[in-house]
Amino acid sequence: MLFSSVGFLFRFLPIFIIIYLALPKYRNIVLLIGSLIFYGVGEPYFVLLLLLSVIMNYGFSRYMFWEPRSPQLNRKKKAAKRRKRALILAVALDLSVLFVFKYWDFAAGSVNSLVGKGFLPLLSLALPLGISFYTFQMISYQIDCYRGTIEKRAGWISFATYVCMFPQLIAGPIVRYSEVADRMASRRVRIRDLENGLKLFTLGLGLKVLLANQIGTLWNLIMTAGAGRLHALVAWLGAFAYSFQIYFDFWGYSVMAMGLGKMLGFSIPRNFNHPYTSRSLSEFWRRWHMTLGSWFKEYVYIPLGGSRKGSGRTVCNLFVVWALTGLWHGAAWNFVLWGIVFFVLISLEKRTFGKRLEQSLVLGHIYTVLLIPVTWVIFAITDMGQLGGYLGNLVGYHKEDILVGVTQLIRYLKEYGVLLIACVIFATPLPAKAYWKWKDRWFMVLFLLGVFWWSVREIVLGSNNPFLYFRF
Amino acid sequence: MNGNKMRTFLEIIYNCPFILLVIFTSIAFSLFFDESGVRKNEHNMAVSQMMEDGVNAGAEAESLLKKSGMLLEKNQNNGDEGGEKAEGTAAQEEKTNQNAGARKEKNDKKKDDSEQKADIEKNGNAGKTRETEKRATEFVEYEPIATNSRYYSDAGKVALTTVYDYVKENESYFNDAAFLGDSRTLGISDYAGLSGADFFCDNGMTIYKLLGDDGVTYQKTGEKVDMKEILQEKHYGKIYIMLGMNELGYGDTPMYLKQYLKVIRQIQEWQPGVIIYVMANLHVSQEKNNMETEFNNININDKNVASARLANGRDVFYLDCNPLFTDEEGYLQAELTFDGVHLYAQHYDKWRDFLFEHGVEKDEQPGSLAETDGQAEGVTKTGESGDS
Repeated sequence: MLFSSVGFLFRFLPIFIIIYLALPKYRNIVLLIGSLIFYGVGEPYFVLLLLLSVIMNYGFSRYMFWEPRSPQLNRKKKAAKRRKRALILAVALDLSVLFVFKYWDFAAGSVNSLVGKGFLPLLSLALPLGISFYTFQMISYQIDCYRGTIEKRAGWISFATYVCMFPQLIAGPIVRYSEVADRMASRRVRIRDLENGLKLFTLGLGLKVLLANQIGTLWNLIMTAGAGRLHALVAWLGAFAYSFQIYFDFWGYSVMAMGLGKMLGFSIPRNFNHPYTSRSLSEFWRRWHMTLGSWFKEYVYIPLGGSRKGSGRTVCNLFVVWALTGLWHGAAWNFVLWGIVFFVLISLEKRTFGKRLEQSLVLGHIYTVLLIPVTWVIFAITDMGQLGGYLGNLVGYHKEDILVGVTQLIRYLKEYGVLLIACVIFATPLPAKAYWKWKDRWFMVLFLLGVFWWSVREIVLGSNNPFLYFRF
Repeated sequence: MNGNKMRTFLEIIYNCPFILLVIFTSIAFSLFFDESGVRKNEHNMAVSQMMEDGVNAGAEAESLLKKSGMLLEKNQNNGDEGGEKAEGTAAQEEKTNQNAGARKEKNDKKKDDSEQKADIEKNGNAGKTRETEKRATEFVEYEPIATNSRYYSDAGKVALTTVYDYVKENESYFNDAAFLGDSRTLGISDYAGLSGADFFCDNGMTIYKLLGDDGVTYQKTGEKVDMKEILQEKHYGKIYIMLGMNELGYGDTPMYLKQYLKVIRQIQEWQPGVIIYVMANLHVSQEKNNMETEFNNININDKNVASARLANGRDVFYLDCNPLFTDEEGYLQAELTFDGVHLYAQHYDKWRDFLFEHGVEKDEQPGSLAETDGQAEGVTKTGESGDS
């Protein structure tokens, strides 16, 4: 089920909220069942996979905490061993499920192209919705349990609710258990929370439906002309359009998740902090998809030694983190390339010009505003030939005649000019500031009401527009 | 209610104005609109309006709908004879595991013919042109799958390009042509190189909005124009219409057909002697085909079959371009498209050639139309010069 669908907005959400409020004693179980229905409507079979992973993971986490009754010799040592074993088993299980569904065909295809066709069979499995998100969430729980950062282990309903909670189940943010543990035990939903939550949700809906979906058609239009035959300016316009689309799509989704979380009495962490106003790519990644960045930092980068083991090791660790970040986003070579581009640039920033960029007023902004769209182009185009063509177009190189030139550029600017300006404004912190300043004023309420119904109108009239981040 | 309770109550209301507004407006909207965003009495309004327009389109639409088995319930309720037939077709709709939009070549033409004949007898009063319309478009039947959607049902057949002795044409054929459509027509405008033709199209255009007051973008100038005015002032020899994608999730197929018919009758009234091409909506790719939403080839095919029924092989023709671009299961071939919906620019050449191959030269004019034809040419010329 999509958040931006009539079924969710007018059927699932109101009915769920009423039941949720009416049964304050059973909130976790109501939320769990509601979330499974939410997931099951779209993925009737994979909901079983989700349940199975949850049960297995819970089993392992219990095993980690299990203490035999009878006194044993060197109990502590054994307990430590057991915990390690449980952690390795749990993480291996989670990663192998993820690998089979998401990476098998990519890996097998790559091996086949080296060794020869048909060496490894392709499975052609559909990707279960949100598997990358909930897998990472479960792994974080296991590691936190192992490290002892989770003081009191969760009951099985709490754990299942934490993983399956519908606001963040399919497209994040990646919530850590310690961030919701208190609220999981008991939470109050005040009328103000409902009000503010719905307001936030509406904002997110507007970002997704009124900005991301609309500007996405421009990117589509340009890509339909075919990468490789674009005028350089058109290619840049397309790159900017896609940058806006992916940002407002994902940010909108995260804001909707925050709003829904608030309505349910949780506080779901912030996932974006105006990334396009960064002055370096390192800063960009501290502001973009923050929960994923901190996941990799916490569970991969720092355990590998981070930057404390000499510069050679640091570069090596950065490489691992960025290759994995790339692969996390999708099983194709362009995602690996995308991750490696970040690795190279961020390593360079760390060693040479990063400080200077972040201190400069203008230079840093120019640097990110020009580079980030290029990285998104690498992200967007899975076909390597096309990707090469598009990157060539960006610098004015094309093999064949230009199909889309200045005349189309002018038409696109006429048609999308207002929208592009709106996108630029919403990429700055100003709208968020205005919202927090005036969110209770009557004009903001009316504005949000307008956003709500305008979005609903677009949803009803337009054809469906799936979230970009859904299939990750 | 005592004062304290009253105060908490008022406080609650004061604290959540946004929720209350959303709830109230939702209730208000739900009274007037159904879930597909259509005004609740629009169906009836559309029919009665057509009656008023005096084009007899209402009855025509009803009979077309009956023919396509879309008004099953209505027939049964009326206790009409047609009801029996309808039950027959309904029984056909057994659950099968067939893939979306598959063209299962189960050519059951005999049956279709007899159905049509039976229909003509029953609806003898519906229109005089029935005899010629009967043979205009042929359908290939297949076993329909059960669908559960308010927007569409499985048509159970695929419409083929209207049978006619088409002539191969060149670019000059399009000098008095107009294309009306959505983003796909925009693609033809941009990449097919038919510079002589007038293109009126927008992303998200629908058959409902086409003649509306909001206007359509005239691609030569980039300005929004009112199609009502254009079609009354300027005269075209041929008009190509391709609309239906943005209607997939708005209203149902009978409503789409009614509106399409209304538009065509209106155009014919304003443009006597014009040749109208009803172009099939291109299917989507397998990746984009989504049976859980209304965005799938079954729905597209349902719309196409409905619009194909408007063809009469005389001045309205149905062109199915899908065989050019789809695989044997009816999906748009993945390598031809970026987003699963629109063709890459370079493949529009194929589409243009297809249009070239389907020229209609009218030597033998049906009496009533012949006299307006000469006039049509003249107006076109003045129209064009006035424009440039």
